[in-house]
Amino acid sequence: MNKPTNQPVLEVENLVVRYGSFQAVKGVSFEVQPGEIFGLLGPNGAGKTSTLSAIEGLLKPNGGSIRISGHDTREQPLHARASMGVQLQSTSFQPELTISEIIRLFAGIHGIELSNERTAAILADIKLEDSASKRFGQLSGGQQQRVSLVIATIHQPPLVLMDEPTTGLDPQSRRQLWERIEAMRNKGHAILLTTHSMEEAESVCDRIAIIDHGQIITIDTPQAIIDDNRDKPEVIQASRKGRITLEDVFIGLTGTAIRS
Amino acid sequence: MSSTITTTAPITQQSRPAYTLPSAKTVFSSLLKADLTAQWRNRRATIMVVLIPSIILISWKSVVAFKGGAFALSNCIAIGLNAIGLMGYTNAIARDRDKGIFQRLRVTPAPRWTIIASRLAVQLVMILITTVLLFVIGYQFDHITLKASSYALGFLTAIVGGAVYLSLGQMIVGLVKTPETVNVTTRLVFFLFIMIGQFASFGAFGPEITAIADWSPYGTTKNILAAAFTPGAWVNQTNMYLLACLGYTMIFTLFGIRYFTWSTK
Repeated sequence: MNKPTNQPVLEVENLVVRYGSFQAVKGVSFEVQPGEIFGLLGPNGAGKTSTLSAIEGLLKPNGGSIRISGHDTREQPLHARASMGVQLQSTSFQPELTISEIIRLFAGIHGIELSNERTAAILADIKLEDSASKRFGQLSGGQQQRVSLVIATIHQPPLVLMDEPTTGLDPQSRRQLWERIEAMRNKGHAILLTTHSMEEAESVCDRIAIIDHGQIITIDTPQAIIDDNRDKPEVIQASRKGRITLEDVFIGLTGTAIRS
Repeated sequence: MSSTITTTAPITQQSRPAYTLPSAKTVFSSLLKADLTAQWRNRRATIMVVLIPSIILISWKSVVAFKGGAFALSNCIAIGLNAIGLMGYTNAIARDRDKGIFQRLRVTPAPRWTIIASRLAVQLVMILITTVLLFVIGYQFDHITLKASSYALGFLTAIVGGAVYLSLGQMIVGLVKTPETVNVTTRLVFFLFIMIGQFASFGAFGPEITAIADWSPYGTTKNILAAAFTPGAWVNQTNMYLLACLGYTMIFTLFGIRYFTWSTK
């Protein structure tokens, strides 16, 4: 059993990502602690996905460092990937495989051998006990997200990455997913999620970072960000019906122009 | 709506069970099991790949009488290898890449080579099954009988030939991004190889085209297969064809690895 530690689960330091001459991420730094839900917010093209992709190991950063549970993602990529579970925005699995087979495949990749009974118990936990022989594409959006989350956490990773996890979900499914995310946090997982939903950021995240033009503008708790910026003219101008919300602060800090 | 979450044993960051990085063998086994299952479930496509050379072989009774069993068998196995490498493997890789299936695997501790190696291993199984089937069909329908050593050498040359087409398929999927264009390209290449290779075998295009066809990936594969099935036919020229097969495999593989992207986005 590991000793309790204040060591961050995720340490991103001066991260730089370039696509040719365009610099998508310009020296981003932040940490995510164990038992914390950390939100990464930003308009389209702000650098969220590039930041997340660099952490996930899907692209090579051009500068800076990323450490997951102490493992540098460039020097120990397999250990770093083993310390995280990822729920991609659009996840797909081989269409020929059943849900049970997909779960056993990803458990097997982590060296976990699942018996039929254990697989059935996992499916029962996410209310999909009757869907064991269904294909992933046959599930509803909410069911797919539950399966994706189970697969991402099958090896109980210290860090869970979620890219816009509630996009396209109905309110009930979204609330259920929030509860699951909070349950993971309460168990000690660190969670980094990206979202466009200010409601989600305010409701679920312990801390958020707002990123724009490849740089972090602010990092703090949602309420602290609101309190620190509520008197700014651009935030007041963005507010509707007089009450300052996180969305107003976000619009005030990042501007009203539509990003492609 | 309330959700009752039945938790597994509570896990905190501090009490996470010790995690040992799984061995490449363990990862490869899991991937191979899943890929074999997927191939089995895709039986219709699998059967088509095997059916085409089987039908040709059955309908070539007169060709066997005219040109010999080795000619017929080598051509049909070459067609089968062509279909497996170009149509089966390549289109599946392009489809899965486009769906983001490889991205999902890339964010796990699976070494990247295991992801493709598993797919290739499945195709190797397909090559062996197709070769055996064609041996059996050749015997049953066309009365083609070979020495045991010829069957054994035939297996080995089928694997070499399979490597040529699988690496060609990998190159195509490396250079071409969208699955629709990959599909069109592989069908075109398949058609060209078969048509030119077949007609050139019968001398339909004249000596120059026949010589080019002879040294094409299709021709070199067919020639080493034919030599394997005919005792005493493996000569220096056959060694050259074998070297050409290995050369093609190396070049296609280099291009396939260099230009392959795991995602189309």
